[in-house]
Amino acid sequence: MNAAWLPLMTLATSLFAAVAIFSLPEEARRVRTSINLLAAVSKIVLVTLMVGRVSEGYEDTFSFQIVGGVDFVLRADALGVMFAGLSSLLWLCTTIYAIGYLEGAANRKRFFGFFSLCVTSTLGIALSGNLFTFLIFYEMLTLSTYPLVVHSGTAKALAAGRVYLRYTLTAGVVLLLGVVLLYSLTNDHSFASEQGLSPYLDDHRGLLTLIFALLVGGLAVKAAMVPLHGWLPRAMVAPAPVSALLHAVAVVKAGAFGILRVIYDLYGIELSVELGVTTVLAIAASITIIYGSLRAIAQEELKPRLAFSTISQVSYVVLGVSLFGPFGTIGALAHLLHQGLMKVTLFFCAGNYAEELGIHRIDEMDGAGKRMPLTSFAFTVGALGMIGLPPIAGFITKWYLGIGAIQAEMYWVVAVLVASSTLNAIYFLPILHRLWFREGPAHGKGQWPKEQRLGRLETHGWLLWPAVFTAVISIGAGLLAGLPFSPLDWATRVAVGEYLP
Amino acid sequence: MISSINTMESGLAVCLLVIAIACLFDRHLLRACWLLILFALLMSVAWWYLNAPWLALVEVVLGGVLTGGSFLYALRNLPSQRSPIVRYDHTQVGWSHRITRVLLTVAWSLMLGVAIQFLLPDMALSLTEHPLILAAVVIVSVGMGAFALHRHLLRRLMAFNVLGSGVFLMLAGMADTRPSSQALISVGLVIAWLGSLLGVLLIRRLVEQEGSVALDGEQSSTRLPS
Amino acid sequence: MMWRFGLYDPSFDPLWMTHWALAGALLLPIMAGLLGAIFRPSRALPVVLACMPILVAGVLMVIDYQQAGLLRWQWVIGDIEFTLRFSGLSALMLLITQWTAAAVAMYTPGYLRLTYPDLNNRWIWPLMGLLVSALSLIWLAADLLTLYAALEIMGLAAVGMLLLSGKPAALKAGMRYLLLALVGSLAFLLGIALLLSQWGSLNLAVLVELVEQEPITWVAAALMGAGLALKAALFPLHGWLTPVHENAWTPVSALHAALVIKASLYILILLWSILLPETLLAPRLIAWLGMLAIVWGGLVAWRADSLKTLIASSTVGQLGYLMVAFPLLLGPGIAPLPLALAWDGFWLHLMGHALAKAAMFMAAGNLIIATGESSLNALAGTSRRLPLSLLIFGIASVTLMGLPPSAGFTAKWLLLQSMVLTQQWVAVAALMAGTLLTAAYVFRVFRYSFDETAPRHDYQPLAPGMDLIALCLAVAALALGLLAHLPLALLHGGGA
Repeated sequence: MNAAWLPLMTLATSLFAAVAIFSLPEEARRVRTSINLLAAVSKIVLVTLMVGRVSEGYEDTFSFQIVGGVDFVLRADALGVMFAGLSSLLWLCTTIYAIGYLEGAANRKRFFGFFSLCVTSTLGIALSGNLFTFLIFYEMLTLSTYPLVVHSGTAKALAAGRVYLRYTLTAGVVLLLGVVLLYSLTNDHSFASEQGLSPYLDDHRGLLTLIFALLVGGLAVKAAMVPLHGWLPRAMVAPAPVSALLHAVAVVKAGAFGILRVIYDLYGIELSVELGVTTVLAIAASITIIYGSLRAIAQEELKPRLAFSTISQVSYVVLGVSLFGPFGTIGALAHLLHQGLMKVTLFFCAGNYAEELGIHRIDEMDGAGKRMPLTSFAFTVGALGMIGLPPIAGFITKWYLGIGAIQAEMYWVVAVLVASSTLNAIYFLPILHRLWFREGPAHGKGQWPKEQRLGRLETHGWLLWPAVFTAVISIGAGLLAGLPFSPLDWATRVAVGEYLP
Repeated sequence: MISSINTMESGLAVCLLVIAIACLFDRHLLRACWLLILFALLMSVAWWYLNAPWLALVEVVLGGVLTGGSFLYALRNLPSQRSPIVRYDHTQVGWSHRITRVLLTVAWSLMLGVAIQFLLPDMALSLTEHPLILAAVVIVSVGMGAFALHRHLLRRLMAFNVLGSGVFLMLAGMADTRPSSQALISVGLVIAWLGSLLGVLLIRRLVEQEGSVALDGEQSSTRLPS
Repeated sequence: MMWRFGLYDPSFDPLWMTHWALAGALLLPIMAGLLGAIFRPSRALPVVLACMPILVAGVLMVIDYQQAGLLRWQWVIGDIEFTLRFSGLSALMLLITQWTAAAVAMYTPGYLRLTYPDLNNRWIWPLMGLLVSALSLIWLAADLLTLYAALEIMGLAAVGMLLLSGKPAALKAGMRYLLLALVGSLAFLLGIALLLSQWGSLNLAVLVELVEQEPITWVAAALMGAGLALKAALFPLHGWLTPVHENAWTPVSALHAALVIKASLYILILLWSILLPETLLAPRLIAWLGMLAIVWGGLVAWRADSLKTLIASSTVGQLGYLMVAFPLLLGPGIAPLPLALAWDGFWLHLMGHALAKAAMFMAAGNLIIATGESSLNALAGTSRRLPLSLLIFGIASVTLMGLPPSAGFTAKWLLLQSMVLTQQWVAVAALMAGTLLTAAYVFRVFRYSFDETAPRHDYQPLAPGMDLIALCLAVAALALGLLAHLPLALLHGGGA
């Protein structure tokens, strides 16, 4: 039995929300909020249904023909549902957060409209059943995030938007070329097909490598791999919920997820190893990890530090993929989820500090733990998770990645992991020290840059609870990793499907 | 071969050619306009001679009366103060412009000649036997040259009309005056008339609004030093 | 190739109802236009009512075509033969023409009321009607005489419409266009004369059988090509286009950019595929010019200061995409698969561009009316005050950029695939560069509009429905991308 409506409806909820929001007037705040929340919740329900269907062994597929030989396919498979689950969960959190964050600000209709479109694109990327569909949503994501990046309309934001477009559109063109070449070689190639591209290996080895380079090159821009990362720190001028979404889920993860798809579902891991591209990818990822961490240490403001941390952390996913072996895969997939949760927490917290206390620089954070204990707790959880401390989710990924590296006999990767963790500690621990152990304005020393009392609690409730929620989930994902339907369990399921067909 | 050339046709061809050239290079516009009408009437004689009486009628009506009438209307009914300016073409054309246009025209005529000489071995009406067609080729070249050379819009429009007539004659020369080519020529005449009418109306509006009768920035030279 | 244009014998005669539908599609626009001149509608509703029967006639014809296959009409009047045929391609182009023109017609009353209420603006209606009739005739014509007449009527009607705004700049631009179009038509006529003298027939289906590759054919093809390229504003001959579009009324520019120049292009590809099948040089030349057009149009649009200049220059670049496809359609030794891909991509791009460009002109017209200025600087702050017009502009530009999911993307995909299969890497590079250039100039507009620091103007409110009509066109261009197989099935229908 094929429930074709399920992936379609999942996609359509946020598309409808976007259309509805665009057709409402700017002042209809309550209706807009209800639509946003309703769509987000119903999306989670639908994704939960899909998770159930996939665990029962169904792969619901919706497809129709666009032109001869090219189909539009949405398919709910294990890997896609995993990413869809992450997106829909974080969408709900970010929507709640954004409603609080933008209270009273201008252009909210535009913001939430494009926000919903952005989530539609992300969901589309997750559920794409072939490369053509993936490309459609990948480019839609570029277009729908641009208005969010330039939302504030300042000269700096507009310049950042220009840089963002320059990188992503060029990447899109490169990706398009790769996809066209691939289609010309093999016709329509579903992600679900079993044999990968190995039949073409003998005759078209060079061409396959070229296509791989084009595809991964195009995707690596969004995954912000060095040296294609330039847009990400600049895009930090966007409002906090946008940064959270860009960095934790939508854009960078879309790139990483695309690389996953290309290696696992398009080329097949054996073929990729055979072509020798995984080693190159592993080296590129390692360079990115180390470079991102080093640059993060040099940043004096909070959001750019988090941005460089993202550059570094997303490449863990790519690194895990390029290790041949189930443990590397499990590590990569689990990290896709874990990093999303932890990073979104960190960005929520950074936004809270900025909104409530006007803190943008790290040296202004002294003693903020006393003033905003819950936010600081969430921040601490996220930061420790990034470093990889048990029992937070980040530990599990690093553990699995390490095992994967040893199994693949790539011992230098272990060194990279250790070095990266050390660097993470170097740039996160001082912040935690400032938060909890330095004396600051909360102890009567000095003043906050710009304090506002936004709510009865330490800050506005709409801002606080999403951060706490994602922090708790991050701990939960680590503590309860052994339970069924935990991120680790699901990642294992995908990896097993990949290696034991 | 010479004997086969009909005197009547040769005379007609020479007349057409002379009048076309006179019309194209007369700076007195009203006179040029009457010459154009005369040219159209001679064209209709040519059509009659080429066994196309209906086409001759169409030419009289469309080419002579309507197109010529449009030009006369434009010249007669111009806003009174400016009418002397427009009835005589004072536009100065620079030497470089003149030389390039003449060279272009020569090149175009050479191409046309080569095409006709070598590519069209079997024209319906042979060039050597029908001076009318030969005249048509010359008229096309000269018309093209005048169209490229002149700046005054009315004169360009007249050059287009002469050029068009040349093309119609060439068409008849190539494809004979069978029904379908007569139909084509009639359509062409209608289009030429409508185009001229539109152009004339346009020029009147341009003169009213801008006092200019040329497209590029030479308005100053179109005014009389008064 | 010829069956694609429907130049073969039909299996059924048209039904009696189809005759009426044909008469309706060809004559009703003129009649509606005359009614418009008499009554001067100031609201959209009477225009909608007048468009209805025309659209119904078009749909009826398409339905008949789907049932009976190719339709053909032939009349002989005094030894002169007139032939019309209704193929899948004609059906598609007729539908696009009628619906786009209907949208433009509905947009017009509001536009005129807001901008030129006092001028004697009634002439736009008969000219528009004449234009639509002539366009419909062009898509249907199957002999050179009809084609020539329809082309010239269309050209004159277009010049007339472009002049309506009456500004001196418009008059000068219109005059230049008129002179060029007239000379172009003479070149076209001379080409026809050559064909007629050599092969003795004006009927396209007969010519297909007779034409051989010899110098006279090439000369005829070159003459016709030059005349048509001039009218279609193909790259080196595009100089007249920008001033004309800049100064004309918005609905006129929309109609002109969407349909009129496409008609010349259609005739060009139709005649060349009859006269120059499997030639190397001429289509290759067009393709090289097309690459230059993509780059040149993009650069000019990128540097443009006014919104309408930007859109007009973008037309030059977008035509370049179509020119680049010429060697795929006409070149020698193109395998059936890339040929079919390029064919689909060509027409899909043409349709997508028609819809999107009309929408874009309307959106830009709305922005210009509302802000009262046509420069890009005046757009500052419009994203807050005129979000809908800007959104329409955005949706239309997605098609122009060729980003998914839009007709432009699907068409580009088809063209790219065809180019990859035939290994035309330079063309691939040109298409890619075109995408980036288009994005560069489109997002320049948005960069101005997102600027929040600009002072506030008072905006003139728009007439109801003006944005809505443009939105419909833009969304149609977008939807055509994902639903591309519907029009393409119609396009292929004639061959089945």
